[in-house]
Amino acid sequence: MSDVRDNTTLIEVKNLKKYYKINSKATLHAVDDVSFQIGCGETMGLVGESGCGKSTIGSVMMRLQKQTAGEVLLEGRNIFDIKGSKEDMDVRRKMQIVFQDPYSSLNPRKRIKSILAESYETLNLCSRSQLEECLEMLCDKVGISKDMWMQFPHELDGGKRQIVGIARALSVNPRFIVCDEPVSALDVSVQAKILNLLMTLQKEMNISYLFISHDLSVVKHISHKIAVMYLGRIVELADKEALFVNTLHPYSLALLSAIPQVDMDNKVHRIVLKGDVVSPINPKQQCRFAPRCWMSQPICFEKEPELCEAEPGHCVACHFARESRKNAQNAEVISLDNK
Amino acid sequence: MDKKILLRRMRRSPQFVVGGILVVFLLFIALFAKWIAPNDPNVVNTMIRLKPPGFVDNGVTYYLGTDQQGRDILSRLLVGSSASIFISIVATVAVTIIGTSLGIWAGYKGGIIDNIIMRATEVTMAVPTLTLGIVIVAVFGASIPNLILIMVVNSWNGFARIARNNVMVIKNREFVQASKVLGAKSFNIMWKQIFPNITTPLIIQASGSFGSIILVESSLSYLYLGIQAPQPSWGNMIADCRNFLPVAPWTVIAPGVALMIAVLGFNLLGDGLRDVLDPKQRR
Repeated sequence: MSDVRDNTTLIEVKNLKKYYKINSKATLHAVDDVSFQIGCGETMGLVGESGCGKSTIGSVMMRLQKQTAGEVLLEGRNIFDIKGSKEDMDVRRKMQIVFQDPYSSLNPRKRIKSILAESYETLNLCSRSQLEECLEMLCDKVGISKDMWMQFPHELDGGKRQIVGIARALSVNPRFIVCDEPVSALDVSVQAKILNLLMTLQKEMNISYLFISHDLSVVKHISHKIAVMYLGRIVELADKEALFVNTLHPYSLALLSAIPQVDMDNKVHRIVLKGDVVSPINPKQQCRFAPRCWMSQPICFEKEPELCEAEPGHCVACHFARESRKNAQNAEVISLDNK
Repeated sequence: MDKKILLRRMRRSPQFVVGGILVVFLLFIALFAKWIAPNDPNVVNTMIRLKPPGFVDNGVTYYLGTDQQGRDILSRLLVGSSASIFISIVATVAVTIIGTSLGIWAGYKGGIIDNIIMRATEVTMAVPTLTLGIVIVAVFGASIPNLILIMVVNSWNGFARIARNNVMVIKNREFVQASKVLGAKSFNIMWKQIFPNITTPLIIQASGSFGSIILVESSLSYLYLGIQAPQPSWGNMIADCRNFLPVAPWTVIAPGVALMIAVLGFNLLGDGLRDVLDPKQRR
């Protein structure tokens, strides 16, 4: 994959928190103190199991939900305190989202043409007479043929619908797109098509992606760097190569061991995690992964590890980051014994 | 939805066909009553009081007989239908617009607005129609706008609840989120994105509630709170002749049957529409 990244930071998330109040005593910590940066033309993969707060980050960044604390800087500007509709429209033109479910992300009562035209109309991107021309250019870019214009979403297959979803996001010429599990509802063959489309568009238009997924092989294919989340926190953040070759966090190790392998000679032992995810409601001051970790020590239950740089450009939140790879061997044995 | 599938479903639903024919027939009569009516509905002739159907006088046939003042019942029935049906149509349209707008607003905004509107529906549901009618007529007097007001207050709540519940399901769908990301105004999201998706239950509710609205209109006219004499309406025709039921039953049976056919027609159409428009029902 050719690298179109340059070193300028496009978007920076600083100490983002999103809590949901359940009642007077309980608060659900969906996203807890998350920080990361995405450069121009860069893709950051965000992985983690269901309910760990991946999609919440996406929707808070899109201002669909109000943040509890923290800021998101787009080209140095905090998008949470923007005043004036002109500035607001400017931010909306730069940030877009592609949704997971291509069935519910398109209005079933509207034709494809009017779904795509919506963004031009709400953001006043072009005059009425130019609309047709703009739509044609947009459709050329993503490969929507003109005879789809008059069709309804239910007449298209999942892949085509997702392309329409991507086209809608692209219509405003954004700098940054949140892809909220864009391929997890699709067949594998269609997945590849969509991923390749996303990557081609990135190259052509220098777009940055936040690619949310629970499928590591997909994230590995498309991302430049990867953040692993567990229960509302980023536990490991590194460049793709570093993360896959030199995994440091025990949770990431377990996650990587779950990728199905085709190579039968090179068997990777599976680390099977025991127990359930601890509740994200009023979490204790401890390592959130500790109750399921195979190498947890007393200190893990007393002190919450900070996300700090273990190696240049490789951040990890674990007290025993250096020992984890060695210990992983033992963990595998344990897990196999249990079977 | 595909027009061909819709047409086929229409043909296969007996309720839709029967209800549709009855409704079209009634609308036709209501529209052209003045020209269809064989005689002047308000001409009093005390010489031919309470004559049975088929009575002939001076070469004029009274197909449904005459009432206690010697007026032609058929003509009164036809002319009375236009007042009843047009008031009911206006009331149904008003109720649909008001109830739906409030319901969408409540469902979309949620919180305190939702609470206020939903409590209001409960209050209006708890007030009996006739009590409300008597109060409004006593305070504002009997007139057609007041009649429509009574019907609106009486039946907006059904529309509001249906709209609200459907909006609450649809507002969390991703296409609504996509509109929000683009910065669309709340009004545009409600009107352009959500509303087209909730029309089906509202159409069904509208045709169903037409039947009950026409009944309310007749009950009020029966109590002389609705359409005022000398303008005939089905309700006041029944009221005028109720004392003559033992000697001249046709005077009451004719408007009664007309009312029954109208309610039946619109209810059948409502049921038929539900079958036709519900995509989950495969036929």
